[in-house]
Amino acid sequence: MPPSPITHCEVRMYRMGTGDCFALRFFAGEVLTFRMMIDCGTWQGSSEKLRKYVSDLKTYLDNHVDLLVVTHEHKDHVYGFEACQTLFGQDFTVSQTWMAWTEDETAPRASQWLKDFGDKKKALMLAGNQWNRMTAGRRGTDTRFSPFQLAARRHFAQALSGFTELQFAANENGEYVGMLKGMSIVRNQIANNKIRFCHPGEIIASFPAAPGIRFYVLGPPTSWEAVKTESGEDGESYSHNLAESDAFAAAVLAGDSPPANAAPFEERFLSDPNDTSHPFRKRYEQKNAEWRQIGDDWLNSAGSLALRVNSMTNNLSLALAIEFEESGRVMLFPGDAEYGSWRSWHGIDWAQPARSGDKHLTEDLLNRTVFYKVAHHLSHNGTARRLGLEMMNHPDLVAMATLDYNVISNGWKTTMPNREIVNELLRRTKGRLIVMNEDQLEVGDVPLSSRVAAAKERMTAAEQAAFDAAFAASELYFQFTVKG
Amino acid sequence: MSPYNSPPDLPAFRKLRGYAFDPSLSQTLATNRINNIVYKVAWEEFPEPLAGEYIEIVDYDPTVGRYYEALDLNSPLVLAQDGLDPSESDPRFHQQMVYAVTMTTIANFERALGRRILWASRLLDSRKKGTPYEEYVPRLRLYPHALREANAYYSPPKKAILFGYFSAAPANDTLIMPNSLVFSCLSHDIIAHEVTHAILDGMHRNYNEPTNPDVLAFHEAFSDIVALFQHFSFPEVLRHQIARTRGNLSSQNLLGQLAQEFGTAIGSYGSLRDFIGGWDLVLQKWVPHQPSSDEYRTVTEPHARGSILVAAVFDAFLHIYDTRVSDLLRIASGGSGVLPDGEIHPDLVNRLADEAAKAAKHVLTMCIRAVDYCPPIDITFGDYLRGLITADMELVADDRLDYRLAFIDAFRRRGIYPEGLRTLSVDSVRLPVRNIRLEPNRTGDDPMMALIDFLRDYAEQIKYRNDRAEIYRVTRSFITGSPEYETGLHARLGAKFSGSAMFSYITGLAFHGDYAQVGVTSAGQQAEQQPPSFEIQNLRLVNRVGPEGTLTNQVVFSLIQTSHLDPETLGPVARKTNYTAFKGGCTLIFDLDTLSLRYAISKPLIDQESAHTTGSLQLNEARLSAQRAYLGAESLQTENPLSQFFLVDGRTGGEPFALLHQH
Repeated sequence: MPPSPITHCEVRMYRMGTGDCFALRFFAGEVLTFRMMIDCGTWQGSSEKLRKYVSDLKTYLDNHVDLLVVTHEHKDHVYGFEACQTLFGQDFTVSQTWMAWTEDETAPRASQWLKDFGDKKKALMLAGNQWNRMTAGRRGTDTRFSPFQLAARRHFAQALSGFTELQFAANENGEYVGMLKGMSIVRNQIANNKIRFCHPGEIIASFPAAPGIRFYVLGPPTSWEAVKTESGEDGESYSHNLAESDAFAAAVLAGDSPPANAAPFEERFLSDPNDTSHPFRKRYEQKNAEWRQIGDDWLNSAGSLALRVNSMTNNLSLALAIEFEESGRVMLFPGDAEYGSWRSWHGIDWAQPARSGDKHLTEDLLNRTVFYKVAHHLSHNGTARRLGLEMMNHPDLVAMATLDYNVISNGWKTTMPNREIVNELLRRTKGRLIVMNEDQLEVGDVPLSSRVAAAKERMTAAEQAAFDAAFAASELYFQFTVKG
Repeated sequence: MSPYNSPPDLPAFRKLRGYAFDPSLSQTLATNRINNIVYKVAWEEFPEPLAGEYIEIVDYDPTVGRYYEALDLNSPLVLAQDGLDPSESDPRFHQQMVYAVTMTTIANFERALGRRILWASRLLDSRKKGTPYEEYVPRLRLYPHALREANAYYSPPKKAILFGYFSAAPANDTLIMPNSLVFSCLSHDIIAHEVTHAILDGMHRNYNEPTNPDVLAFHEAFSDIVALFQHFSFPEVLRHQIARTRGNLSSQNLLGQLAQEFGTAIGSYGSLRDFIGGWDLVLQKWVPHQPSSDEYRTVTEPHARGSILVAAVFDAFLHIYDTRVSDLLRIASGGSGVLPDGEIHPDLVNRLADEAAKAAKHVLTMCIRAVDYCPPIDITFGDYLRGLITADMELVADDRLDYRLAFIDAFRRRGIYPEGLRTLSVDSVRLPVRNIRLEPNRTGDDPMMALIDFLRDYAEQIKYRNDRAEIYRVTRSFITGSPEYETGLHARLGAKFSGSAMFSYITGLAFHGDYAQVGVTSAGQQAEQQPPSFEIQNLRLVNRVGPEGTLTNQVVFSLIQTSHLDPETLGPVARKTNYTAFKGGCTLIFDLDTLSLRYAISKPLIDQESAHTTGSLQLNEARLSAQRAYLGAESLQTENPLSQFFLVDGRTGGEPFALLHQH
């Protein structure tokens, strides 16, 4: 007799603060057969504070997961592994670990790229340090700047630190040391370097303990063109291209006394650094003309480098659709994928046709999505409009978003939550939008909680009852049971 | 000894070679021959290397902390060969290119305006006691290699243009060499665009303040218009493109595009902006744009929104060109107007090119002159259209070729209308002529007459002055007063018009009644009747000759008044600590020949109607609420991720263009 198929899945979102930490339990009838975990991160928090969440998670999963997925290397997705390293190190086992194909250091295509990308991250770190030096101590009160400008410079430095902390680790001297610690703990300790690197187009149904469950790998895309695109539809055509920052990164990496070949011209055109009579130098250093100097202005480019690095990493998210084979219902976990990744899903050469009609399988999967883990914490770029949300038209759609204003960098508050995304989600889910912490969140000057309450009134009594039965809340988590 | 002291025979021009567009067009066979041109720049002497009358170049590269070798424009080796050879690898040529294009752009402005241009003065730190309000800035500073970023911008606080360079990241490896360095200071279009930002800032410094979606877009559009129409002043380029398009400038051509290399290097399929058409990713070919009113309603990003205005102006130009060449096409085609297949005759090319050059020059001149007839703040595209039509009607009585209609029609097709018009005819688009006329022989107590007398003095004083520092000094003295010119304009306006409901009505500013109640503070100099505070900007003489010999003889200045309001109640605030600033402004145009106030172009701070009818003083609620709605809109915050993350409340700290121009 074949094993009875999975009937439902409990999705538990831990409320550690802005960032993803999900535990999934798959049941065949009453029997728990398969346990899964997706990411373990938050913007910040001490080990003591995070301990209770991870302990609960371990209890909930009975100290074992059949499948651990780490979507991408951002602090808000992996910091928990670092902060609770000991907890994860004791009596906790993982059968399989998945990461995106772009994390495979041994693959020729990924390795050169990872090195280049590492250089960009390093440059970002150095530029961030430079900004911190420029705004601290005596330079922080430089009289060439107005009080507002000084405050603006401090703000810039802080925003930059916010980005650098999210991306990579630094030692106590603020020097770049590479991969986030949480990421290396997963690789070396939890996964024992036995990692499956997933490629888009793969359909994985190989878990005997999860009969009737299929994993569709959507992203990250295999083309860098797609990875580079943060957003791109009408009115959202702001795209980043990391290679544009090459010259900037090179200058930052060259440090304070760059060699002559760091300049864009041959050495014969460069002034002797000791020549104080150079006409340009005399003009630049002229007394009472200091207000026209441009010494620091070029470092503003660190802002666009930070955005580029950040978007790039988001687009490297391992994005999965989890399908209940029999019913065709889908749970979508896109990590923090941005527009370029979403768009690429629609060009995947699936070995399998759509269930209905002659549409592309990706569109079909989106049509059948009944649970959506909102990408990138409700930001504008995180959810594609036409190629994403507008295709999620299943009447049972429920969404979970990992946003919490109590634990977030100030810079993010201006982009999260995006009003249009929230409105569209509320409409499509009839208010079944579960946000990690609604406290302080507003949508168009109205508290999010009242918007959610208002949207819920559109549910029928039966829908309301079904939702209430499937939803569970505690201080540590929100949980929703997805019917298969 | 001769009684004559002959001036030295200075050459009229300094010839300097440069790119007509940018280096990328020198790398393809089809365009290489037309891309290397000779700029003819008015001769000037250099007291120091590369520091002339208007600009100074500082080739300091802070990214590597080095100075690059300076070009010596007076070296015989440079003079003998019309400047250095165009070269991407020689920084001295970069300096030459920046110098040549900047001076060409300045010359175009001065020709159109009929006066010398001044850079925006430097506002000094009012926190220090005894510091004067502002300081003259003789030269714009140009940094050809200031940033490593796909960016170039004008910095209002530094009165400098910072050009960036970056690594090319093309969409396709065949378009441009990936990772090659792209220098924005080698692009004619980028240099002309940035210099225009600086010149416009010198004319209207408040155009940096985004109080409606059109303001920053206008700055961008105006800069693009200047860069675009300068293409038509390069005869070789023009003839080549006319021949290639067989005289049809509505088809794809280089003249209607900006910044080819820059656009390709940041991953576009072609130029940064194309005002005639664009690359269709689906059809994989260039297709012409179809104007629609949707764009003006929905597009808010300043460059994209500005492009709507540029496209409208370019469309007007194409109509004018078509009108001008229709007879030539008939002559060349035996009367049918349909040219036979194949190349067109070189003589026809030359004639068409002449007409295109003439039309472009007219359009550019109209566009530049229009700025004199615009309000000093809060400009909209509709205001600009009115400025265009008015400026032209002042000077050109007989619009034989329907230039004005071509503009109105092109704006209409994009849904751009001036506010508050009942019809859209040429004469209703023209600003209402006030002609508050005063008899020339009346003297004594008529305040308007006394004012015009004073302005005539100003015109006399300024007319024959050619030294820019002198022009600045005299103008400044007329505004603030000095032993030389007695009481200045500011004090005179305060004395003559405070308390006048009529003047409030004309200007839309609070000059009468209890102005404190609308948040306007008092200027606080005179004891008896305290005039309200206001600012005078941009006092200038507009002295032009039209095509039929018509003379314009006008003095123009702008008034700006700021109301400080409580952000919650919108009532007046006692202390200027936490407030919402709401500005009103008015450009007043006095005709010295008819001795009248001819136009008052107002962005009213107050409700003009009630000032007129009941004499009461109320804030202009309609403008105030529109401005607050615009500034509170979410789109402002989500548009530019750099501003979201890196700026405090989206405030740029005086650098409005630094982020705006970033890619």
